[in-house]
Amino acid sequence: MRSSLLRPATPRALLRRPSQPPRRLLPLLAHPSQQPNPPPCRPHSTTTTSSVNETEISHFSSLASSWWDPHGPSRPLHLMNPHRHDFIRSCLSSSPTSPPYSSLTYLDIGCGGGIFAESAARLPATLSITGIDASPVIISVAKSHARRDPSLAQKLSYLNSPIESLVLPPVDIVTCFEVIEHVDYPSQFLGELIKFVRPGGWVVMSTIARTWTSWVTTNLVAEDILKMVPKGTHDWGKYLHEYELREWFSKENSREGKKVWGDARVMGVVFVPGCGWKEVKGSEKIGNYFFGVQRLV
Amino acid sequence: MEALLRRRAVYVCQSCVRSARQPLWRNYSSAPPRPDIYDVVCVGGGPAGLSLLTALRANPITSHLRVALVEAQDLSKIRSWSLPPTKFSNRCSSLTPSSVKFLEQIGAWEHMARDRVQPYQEMQVWDGVSGARIEFDWAGAAPNTGTTIAYMTENLNLTSGLLKRLEELGGVSTFDNARVENITHGEETEELDLREWPVVQLSGGKQLSARLLVGADGANSPVRSFANIEAKGWDYNRHGVVATVELEGEGWGGEFTKIAYQRFLPTGPVAMLPMPGKYSTLVWSTTPSNAALLKSLSPKDFTAMVNAAFTLSTVDLQYMHTQKSGQEEEYSWRMEHTPVDHRAVPQVVTGVQEGTVASFPLKLRHADTYVAERVALVGDAAHTIHPLAGQGLNQGQGDVQSLAKTIEYAVTHGQDIGVGMSLESYVSERYAANHVLLGVCDKLHKLYSFGSGPLVPLRSLGLSAVNALGPLKTFVMNQAAGNGMKVF
Repeated sequence: MRSSLLRPATPRALLRRPSQPPRRLLPLLAHPSQQPNPPPCRPHSTTTTSSVNETEISHFSSLASSWWDPHGPSRPLHLMNPHRHDFIRSCLSSSPTSPPYSSLTYLDIGCGGGIFAESAARLPATLSITGIDASPVIISVAKSHARRDPSLAQKLSYLNSPIESLVLPPVDIVTCFEVIEHVDYPSQFLGELIKFVRPGGWVVMSTIARTWTSWVTTNLVAEDILKMVPKGTHDWGKYLHEYELREWFSKENSREGKKVWGDARVMGVVFVPGCGWKEVKGSEKIGNYFFGVQRLV
Repeated sequence: MEALLRRRAVYVCQSCVRSARQPLWRNYSSAPPRPDIYDVVCVGGGPAGLSLLTALRANPITSHLRVALVEAQDLSKIRSWSLPPTKFSNRCSSLTPSSVKFLEQIGAWEHMARDRVQPYQEMQVWDGVSGARIEFDWAGAAPNTGTTIAYMTENLNLTSGLLKRLEELGGVSTFDNARVENITHGEETEELDLREWPVVQLSGGKQLSARLLVGADGANSPVRSFANIEAKGWDYNRHGVVATVELEGEGWGGEFTKIAYQRFLPTGPVAMLPMPGKYSTLVWSTTPSNAALLKSLSPKDFTAMVNAAFTLSTVDLQYMHTQKSGQEEEYSWRMEHTPVDHRAVPQVVTGVQEGTVASFPLKLRHADTYVAERVALVGDAAHTIHPLAGQGLNQGQGDVQSLAKTIEYAVTHGQDIGVGMSLESYVSERYAANHVLLGVCDKLHKLYSFGSGPLVPLRSLGLSAVNALGPLKTFVMNQAAGNGMKVF
C-alpha cells in the first residue's frame, strides 16, 4: 500500500483524492520543538526522529539502475537540473549579503544518484559539495557514477545518512530538490535542514503544489497514463504549497523573535513534453516550483 | 609538454593531472603510457575544427576547458601562408554574412588578409538550355538587410586567420603532423571509470583521453567511424573542377559591385565567383570524363572552354568536350555565329593561373546523427553537400556556432559537456536545418541535369516566376546569405 499509511493521521491523509483543493496544516506548521513526541506509528524507521520513509527509500532504490539513463524514468529530473542552477544564481544575485558566487559550499539533501551534486561540483565557482541520501543503494550508484568524471573527486563527497545524524559545518547553500514531498514530517525535516545554512546562505528547494492540476499531471498523466515516471513516485497528499513553506519560515522568524529568514523567492516551472521545463510566472501556485530563502543572520 | 601539464586547468583535478604526468617518468616500463586527459579533443584542423577551438578559447566561460587539436598537416605552414596579391589559391568558399559575423565575434576575421576577401552584391543565375534567368541584387530588397550577399574567401586565408587568432589566444595543446592511429575507449581503474571516454592514439604513442571528442575530420571522418555513426547519401558521378582565372576587367559592375555568375548546364552548374581585382574563381561541376579533359588542356584551350561554358549553346559545348585540343580556335569560330549579350555573362576570361586547375568528386552525405556518447561531429564529418549553392563551409560554421553555444550552456550549468544529454540541443538545432539545405541543393542539381524534355520549360517557368516575384526572390537571397528566416 502507499506510504501514506505510514504517515500520522492528518486531515491530509483523508484528502488523497482531491474532492477539494486541500490545505495541509498539521505536520508542516508544527515545529519539532512544539512537537516533542513524534507519532509512534513508524514500524520500519530506525530512529524515532528520522524524516526517512522506508517505503519511499525502497521505491527510489528500485530506480537506482536507471537513475543516470537520460531516456529513463529520471529524464524529467535531468532536464530540470539546469533550471536549478539558474534559480540558485537568481537567488544569490537578489541579495547583496549573499556569499560571493566565486566560492560556494553546498549541501545537497536527498541527492539521489547525484544529478545536481555532480553538476554543482563541476561549476568552477564551487569549492565543495556534500550529497546525502538515506538510501545506501542510491548512494552507491552516485559514488560509482562520480568515478566517470575525473574532475569531480576533489570537490564532491557523498554520505549515506539521514539528515538527523549528519555532522557538518554550515554551508553557503543547502539544496533539497524534489525531496520534501517524499518526507513524512516536513516540518521536523525543515527544522533539521536549516541548521546547516550559514548566515548569508540560502536554502533552495523544489517541490510540487498540492492542486487539482498537479494531481492530474504528476499522478494521473505522468504515472498512470504516459508512464513517464514509475508508479508510486509521487504521493500527492505530501505535496506542499509555496505559501505553506513561506508560512513555515515566517513562523521560524516569530519563534526566534527576529527576522532570521528573508523574503522567499519562488519560480514556477511547467513540463512541456518534447521541450522540457519552461519557467511560467504564477505556475508555482499550480504545480512544480522552486523555493529559495536566505538566512539573514 | 611539462609546461603544458603544469598549467593548472580548472576543469581537471590535480590527481588527473598527476596521472597524466606519469608517462613522463614511466617510459621505461613496458606498460602502455597512460592517456593525457582533455575536456575537448578536436580531430581535424580545417575551418570547422579551428573555428570551434577559437570559439571555445575566445569565450571567457569556456576558456578554462583543457583543449587539444590533432591535425595531420603541418599547421605552421598554413599559419604563415601568404601569396602575392596577383595569385589566388584555387580552393575558395563563399562565406555568408552570418558566418562572417561569427568569425568577427570569435576574433578571427581581423586576422585574415582582408584585401584578399571579395564581397559580392549581385548574383546572375540562368538555365543553360532555355536561357531563363534570375537576377539577384539588393536594389529591391529591404534596406536593412545589407548589400553584401556573400564574401568570397580562399579557404587557406580563413584557416590561416583562425590559426593566428588561436596563437594569440593560446592554451591549445596542438598535435600537428600527427596521424590518428586508432581511437579506443578508456579503462577502469580503482579511482576512475573512463570506459566511456574516447582515447585518441597518435602516431608516436601519444594518447589523448577526451571528455568530448569532436570529429572535424572531413567526409571520411575516422571519429564518425569510431562512434559507429553511419553517413548515408550518394555520389553524383560529377567532379567539381576549380581554377583561378583572370578576366579582361574588374567585372561589369566595377570594383565595388561585384557579381557572381552561375549557369546550369545539363552536366552540372558552372560558376564564376569574383575575387579581388581582375580575378575570379571557377567552380565547374561536370562529368568525370569532362573534368579529366579540362585538366588535360593547355591554358589557352582551357580558357576557351571556360568562356564557352558561359556563352555557347550546350550542343556547341558538348562538341568541344570531344576535342583533345584546339578549343581556342573552335571557340572563336563559334562565337562569330553566336549572338551573346556580353553584359549578361562574366567578362571574357583571358587566362588561367598556373597550377590552379584541379578537381574533386561531388557527393551528398548526411550522418545519421551528429552526436554519440562523448562524440560530436561538425562540418564535412557530419554532412557533405553539392557545392552549387556555396553552402558547405557555412553549414560547418553554423554547426560550430551551435556546438560552442551548447558547450557554453553545459559549462554554466555544470553539465558534463561530453554526455549525450548535454549535446541534445546541438543536434536538434542543426540536424533539420542542414537536412533541408542538403535536400534543396540536391533537388536543384537533379532538376537542372535534364538537357531536354518536359522539365526544361517547367523549371524555366519556375525560375522566371521567382525572378518576377520580389518577396520570394528576397527570401531566396536571404537564405543564400544565411540571414534568412529559419526553416526550422
